[in-house]
Amino acid sequence: MSAQPLTDLAGSPAAPRQSAGHRAAARPRSAGTWAAYRWELVKLAALVRTRAMLIGVLVVPPLVVLALQGQRAPADTLFGRHVHDSGFALPLLLLGFATQYVFPLLTSVVAGDIFASEDQHGTWKTLLTRSVSRTQIFWAKTLAAITFAAAVLILLTASTVASSVAIIGRQPLTGLSGQSIGAASATGLVLAAWASTAAPLLGFTALAIVLSVRTRNPSLGVVGPVVLGLLMSLVGSLGGTGWLRRALLSTPLEAWHGLFTATPFYGPLIQGIGVCLAWTAVCLFFAYTSLRRRDITGG
Amino acid sequence: MPTSFKTLAKPAAGIVAAAALVVGLSAAGSPDVTKARVEASLTPAFTNLYLDQQRILGHADLSASAIAATSSCDRGGPKVADVGAGSDWICLVDFTDQTGAAQEGKFELQVHANACYTAAGPAKLLGGFTITDTSGRDVPNPLSAFDVCFDPDA
Repeated sequence: MSAQPLTDLAGSPAAPRQSAGHRAAARPRSAGTWAAYRWELVKLAALVRTRAMLIGVLVVPPLVVLALQGQRAPADTLFGRHVHDSGFALPLLLLGFATQYVFPLLTSVVAGDIFASEDQHGTWKTLLTRSVSRTQIFWAKTLAAITFAAAVLILLTASTVASSVAIIGRQPLTGLSGQSIGAASATGLVLAAWASTAAPLLGFTALAIVLSVRTRNPSLGVVGPVVLGLLMSLVGSLGGTGWLRRALLSTPLEAWHGLFTATPFYGPLIQGIGVCLAWTAVCLFFAYTSLRRRDITGG
Repeated sequence: MPTSFKTLAKPAAGIVAAAALVVGLSAAGSPDVTKARVEASLTPAFTNLYLDQQRILGHADLSASAIAATSSCDRGGPKVADVGAGSDWICLVDFTDQTGAAQEGKFELQVHANACYTAAGPAKLLGGFTITDTSGRDVPNPLSAFDVCFDPDA
């Protein structure tokens, strides 16, 4: 199912450009990458897994909000003790929970599979006989995985914040210096906190991509980042690890804490963006070189 | 056997490089959790929450300068260095209460490696899980336990 549309790749989106007078050599890379990217999105949209994830991130947060209504406040996670006092506390509780356990999975479910599924279905040869290069396929798949990660993050943020505020309300939030944060600034801060996880999510996407390319195994590509994410959280929670903690991909997921103190601090956020970009660059480099050098002539 | 040596040498070199990086990074840098940072974050948090509590109890006229809180923290007694995450941090907070009397509260802190901690207040001095507000309702006591984060680069 996932391989089917690719057999049309040379025919449909790229061909009209050439017939319209564009020479193939004029803008070969961008046109081919763009066409392949659109096909990757079409393939993703057809996958049950992708649809289930997108629907899940919309539907699950309101259910969690409702389920927590009758419960004792979960005080062991940051902002947990205030979930009944303010509708702004619950999105932060869920953010803290999600960053510990589910964030790598949100993206690896697609990024960990997007290259390896071609191995699983034996479709690399079919794919590469189309008029797109390996480089174009690589960037098309990478961009498609990033697009999915961004869509998941936006939907999850919107659903969580909207349902918490609608069900619990816009009461002032108690910050991480015991200060009271008014509804207007709390809304902006909660959205900023969720947005700050975009950089580590990009890093985990790249990690899933390199595992997907190297292992050629969709299961390892999907589960690998989750296991590595948990391992990094575990190492990060140990004390005395010096700069190692700062260099982990899981640490920037907690950098939003600095937004909620009386005197906000942005050091961890800025360092986190640098760390995530470094992880992304290294992972994509290894994925790209591995795919370029690979011998796909065999069965 | 050049082929098998090459296939083994490359992953081995990668693992050694990764291990060296992990060890090198672990050894570098200064601790995030220090006595000064814990104290500097506990004092304002206590002040804010004590004012909250007193407002609930009907003493709205109190101010931060009237409380004049100061904290002094220690980890694990005199033999343990006062740095690093752990649940053995004890902080003494000195302040002036709403009657003008000098008070000292002992807080037990569970400090995490991510530069956040949970502080549990002394129930005898500052009340238990709930307190009774001016209209007679039981509400959560802001000082019984609270979470604070601090800047690990400050």
